[in-house]
Amino acid sequence: MTVVNPVATASIKSSHNAAAGPMEQFSYDDAIVRKFLTATMVWSLVAFLAGLVVALELVAPKAVEWEIGGSHPLAWLRFIYETSWLNFGRLRPLHTNAAIFAFAGNAVFAAIYYSTQRLCKTRMFSDTLSTLHFWGWQLIIVCAALTLPLGITEGKEYAELEWPIDLMIAVVWVAFFGVNFFGTLARRRERHMYVALWFYIATIVTVAVLHVFNNLWVPVGLVHFFKTGHILNAEIFLKSYPVYAGVQDAFMQWWYGHNAVAFFLTTPFLGLMYYFMPKAAERPVFSYRLSIIHFWSLVFLYIWAGPHHLHYTALPAWASSLGMLFSLMLWMPSWGGMINGLLTLRGAWHKVSADPVLKFFVVGITFYGMSTFEGPMLSIKSINALTHYTDWNIAHVHGGALGWNGFLSFGMMYWLLPRLFQTKLWSPKLATAHFWFGTVGILLYVGAIYIAGLTQGLMWRAFDKTGNLQYPEFAETVVALIPMYWIRIGGGVLYILGAVFAAVNFFKTWQTRPAKYEVPVVSAPALTSGYIDVADPASRLTANVEFGHKGDVFLQGAWHRRWEGLPLKFTIGVILAVAVASLFEIIPTFLIRSNVPSILSVKPYTPLELAGRDIYVAEGCYNCHSQMIRPIWAETKRYGDYSKPGEFVYDHPFQWGSRRLGPDLQREGGARSHDWHVRHLEDPRQLIAQSIMPSYKHLLEQPLDFKGIEARVDAMAMLGVPYGNAVKSGEAERLARLQAKKISEDLVKQGGYPSLSEKKIIAVVAYLQRLGTDFKQAPEWDPYADFAPGALSPAPPAGAKTANKEK
Amino acid sequence: MRLTDIMSNAGLSLYPTIALVIFVVIFAVVLKHAFSRSNTHDFNRAASLPLEDDAIADTTIRFDGSKP
Repeated sequence: MTVVNPVATASIKSSHNAAAGPMEQFSYDDAIVRKFLTATMVWSLVAFLAGLVVALELVAPKAVEWEIGGSHPLAWLRFIYETSWLNFGRLRPLHTNAAIFAFAGNAVFAAIYYSTQRLCKTRMFSDTLSTLHFWGWQLIIVCAALTLPLGITEGKEYAELEWPIDLMIAVVWVAFFGVNFFGTLARRRERHMYVALWFYIATIVTVAVLHVFNNLWVPVGLVHFFKTGHILNAEIFLKSYPVYAGVQDAFMQWWYGHNAVAFFLTTPFLGLMYYFMPKAAERPVFSYRLSIIHFWSLVFLYIWAGPHHLHYTALPAWASSLGMLFSLMLWMPSWGGMINGLLTLRGAWHKVSADPVLKFFVVGITFYGMSTFEGPMLSIKSINALTHYTDWNIAHVHGGALGWNGFLSFGMMYWLLPRLFQTKLWSPKLATAHFWFGTVGILLYVGAIYIAGLTQGLMWRAFDKTGNLQYPEFAETVVALIPMYWIRIGGGVLYILGAVFAAVNFFKTWQTRPAKYEVPVVSAPALTSGYIDVADPASRLTANVEFGHKGDVFLQGAWHRRWEGLPLKFTIGVILAVAVASLFEIIPTFLIRSNVPSILSVKPYTPLELAGRDIYVAEGCYNCHSQMIRPIWAETKRYGDYSKPGEFVYDHPFQWGSRRLGPDLQREGGARSHDWHVRHLEDPRQLIAQSIMPSYKHLLEQPLDFKGIEARVDAMAMLGVPYGNAVKSGEAERLARLQAKKISEDLVKQGGYPSLSEKKIIAVVAYLQRLGTDFKQAPEWDPYADFAPGALSPAPPAGAKTANKEK
Repeated sequence: MRLTDIMSNAGLSLYPTIALVIFVVIFAVVLKHAFSRSNTHDFNRAASLPLEDDAIADTTIRFDGSKP
């Protein structure tokens, strides 16, 4: 039954034509939408499969031990945690990046390219820019897929891609996508910008700002090139250090991380919802008023909420309280938006049972509501104390990603397929099957992982009658989760099967496309430059001063209507709101020293430790190990003294982590012998039978690049780390070799492997043994004293002053 | 003198408060605008924009292949 209201449509057209110029003819570019939609389908399978592999990594070390009748049926799985480039730490970033930037990204672009042209009644500004945007973005994804498994990473979650790829993202996003989008707005034939366009504007502007400011780095290879004229090797060339360190870096990262969720996974999908939901339901959005409130509340509130990722850390308490408050406030507009989306179906609920598109949308929007209830809840400090670092966060993000982003994308895909390929959808039944497989898959996944997260949180903080930790062995708290991890794999497989159904449906529908696509010619009146907007309403006040009348006219809000028609000014308004909020959140931690009290005994890492730290980053250890002990009794009891902000001043990038599949490592230094670390990294199960950590055998085999250490030290010195004499030519390498020799001698004394002094493992051990030890030292201690007595004179603090003066 | 010293002494602490007040005021005005009755007609017209492009292009195909 047709439900478009003919009366409303007719009156709209007449009211539009009244203030318009001559009729113009044009056509929409649907080829670019077809491209983006195809990419969405392809990358969704890649992202989901990568997720399945990383989920398998967590159960594989236990699964290979299964024995049935004397044989080990799953022993073949061993390779996935013993192959360096397949390790969890390297593939997990690949999974998250593929899901966010490849799958969700291409879906967003398909939505924007389809709806913007139609809402603006014009073709995209430039077909060349559209094509450049498409292929540029796919190239970025391929680069990510090649570099991340090789351990080429910046080590900051969801911003792992190294600097050359960052530059490509900036160019593609701003110069191709941004220019194309705003050019289209400028050429539009519809004066009013529909609310979906506002969400797109906020997305484009804010993601550009976030990306640039979170990716301010110093490329190690370039520093070395300008100093010596040599390009060492690809690894050094691609490596960079963020300009921020420790607390600041954490603050920037989660300002970015949270707002990437807000402006990459929320606002563009809300734009999608506000366009495609009315389309699918064949009726206008429930309340346009509510959508205006929804938009402005999100823009004003979201940007402040990032610090809730850092509760009870070394971040100043005022900042995380602020983050919590704004997160709680976000609940209301988010639910307003959810209700607005769902009530668009008023009077059309019967269609949901017949139309898989609406099924996907209804469940997707419901997941938006669930995630945006859960987010504010998790940001409450006392709840966060239990849930932070646990799998609960993993369940939370998958409810959002699979339910909200995934289902909205697939719903849109099923709506677009027959229109873009100008045929019938091959099988609506298969689409419905996809919906059910997907829904059951999500429920299994998040249900199991919620339980896992709660179990983990409760086990970490459980004390026995004598006041000791009930589960002192961290591995116990991981093994308890394995059954839930298997259920997750089951849920994931169902969701992937659904996506495979979609791929089949996509392919079969594409096969029945016409030999030549019909390109309908559309006509709409041009906007005339002499257009005069509606006059200001008259003041409704009677006896009053002039100011009162003006105020009343202002309050009647014609200015907002006029303003909505001005993309440039509107955009500047959004930028200002986001920038002002961000600046006032960030400036204090950067600039007021008292917020990060310095600790005299905290010294820079030695050159060898720095190289070891870079290997720690490259292997993605932060994906499972935090370096941040919260001031909570259960944590200080388990790991040692809580972390202080001043301990991280030389950490470029910070490595606090966001979840614990392994124990915290902040106080790891000196806790165990060198030999223990070497054997543990070689095969963790030699020492901890229950461990699920991957094997890092390759670190015992691969040679350490001593030559490149100088470049690393130089780049750090450029960022203000006081390396003193260590920046002199050849000094960093000499110091590193001395320390490596000392460690490998100690290793042999402990009964460990001989001849490892030239291998990567030595640098990693040096770094691990240094972790969190500085604050126990006397203020004047010399980190070089142990292995190179008298090698550095004066000691680093004095050297720091000379180094600064030399600059 | 480092940037941190300059900024620490610049007395910036009042500005966040001012920014907050401005934000709240703008938001109040947006609320007023959104709920003012005189805009009902404009909002109704805006809300039907996504449906209007079909009326113009006349390329709408339903999920089952039919046209509205």
